[in-house]
Amino acid sequence: MQLYSDYKDHADFLTVYVREAHPTDEWQMKSNVKDDVCYAQPKNLAGRVSIANDFIQRFHYPVPFGIDDMTNAANDAYSAWPERLYVIDERGHIAYRGGMGPFHYSPKELRAWLAARYGEVKHEEKQNQAPAKS
Amino acid sequence: MRRFWKWTLGIVALLLLAAFGVLSFMAGSPKDAYGMVRYALPHMHRGTLKVGDDAPDAHLVALDGLNRFHIRERTGGRPLVLVFGSFT
Repeated sequence: MQLYSDYKDHADFLTVYVREAHPTDEWQMKSNVKDDVCYAQPKNLAGRVSIANDFIQRFHYPVPFGIDDMTNAANDAYSAWPERLYVIDERGHIAYRGGMGPFHYSPKELRAWLAARYGEVKHEEKQNQAPAKS
Repeated sequence: MRRFWKWTLGIVALLLLAAFGVLSFMAGSPKDAYGMVRYALPHMHRGTLKVGDDAPDAHLVALDGLNRFHIRERTGGRPLVLVFGSFT
């Protein structure tokens, strides 16, 4: 989560865990098997909490974290699944709306938005951080 | 008339086959194309939120599985970057 490291002094971050995109009992990807990321779609909140904690531990993920509950309210409100980026400004308005993942999910575009507002920031990348998510 | 329906059905079948071929190419394989149609497309929505709209609120569960908080509790002081995703 290089963006977080680079811009956490300027903006707050919140990762929202939503329903799994490629669980074993739905559309599993070969890459998930290769990376040993194999989970069935959680049928209850405890299942989501468990997977979210696995994710945090595996990647030592430093970003503040929240879990969408089984009503999928956050997902529905933001049309978030499978992955998406937004920025809410200080007045509570949508300031940046990223494209729908996976094809239009673009941390690069979000970085450009942050850079336009706060200037280019690029710290040295750390090892063992979470993959692509941003 | 019968010939018309034969041609129409044939063309529709060809178009469907072509669409499935394109999807298979995009997704990686016919199995993935099926997965995309069966499991992904029903959950993918462009949404109606626009820049400038009030940010919707929703409550989230903390990693302990017990505490809850609202997205809007985290807004106000500085911009809030929301990163939606899952493990897989």
